[in-house]
Amino acid sequence: MNAYLAGVLVGIGAVLLGAAIAKFRSRHLMGSNAEKAEVLSKRRARMLPPLAAIFLAQQASYFSTSSITAPRTVDTVKISAWLILSIVLLAALATKGFWFHSKEVRDLIDDENTRANRSQAMRTGFLFAMGAGICVYVVTMFEPVTAKEAIHIMMSAGIGTALIQWGFLERRAYQDV
Amino acid sequence: MSERLDNRLKERRTELGLTQAELAERVGVTRKTVNTVENGVFVPSTILALKLGKALDRTVEDLFSVIEE
Repeated sequence: MNAYLAGVLVGIGAVLLGAAIAKFRSRHLMGSNAEKAEVLSKRRARMLPPLAAIFLAQQASYFSTSSITAPRTVDTVKISAWLILSIVLLAALATKGFWFHSKEVRDLIDDENTRANRSQAMRTGFLFAMGAGICVYVVTMFEPVTAKEAIHIMMSAGIGTALIQWGFLERRAYQDV
Repeated sequence: MSERLDNRLKERRTELGLTQAELAERVGVTRKTVNTVENGVFVPSTILALKLGKALDRTVEDLFSVIEE
């Protein structure tokens, strides 16, 4: 089997496993929709920075594979899996997330403050992606950069910073002054 | 000259004996949103300000005011 296809399948498998774990953990959530939304919202605030770390660590696989030497199969699989994770994280950033919960709970989780935090995080992510694009452009004046490398750098900068900032804003929102 | 939104949400909420979670449930948001509005971290929309006013039985002007610094 093609290593890239294997990576895509591994990525999809990891996403499905993550969704199943989230669903299993939510099975024990008791109380009103507001209480469920509170628990899930706090859980998301805790999870965002580690998710960003995992996402950026996966990125390291790509750059640790030198363009001089042929990539190992395991690296190719990791890179394809990274693509799936990117799509899922982008979808989580762009939508309400928590796709396996009721509409009422999802609407509550994505309340006014969350939407504002999400918008601010996406704005920062966009600015960082564009900044990374400018940096890559400057680098190409001195050293060749492949399209794949450029896309990896811009996506990592954009999605990574958006996740980190969203996590920071969500955590700050729960702090009592 | 900058402007800041001051609020008396916490005073009114405690006056009524409500927790942040209870007020949040009344206006259909999470406790986090009530917390950020009370702390002045987040400026609520007109809709949320009106809902908060209704839930706390006060006008928006009673709960919020603009401070010029």
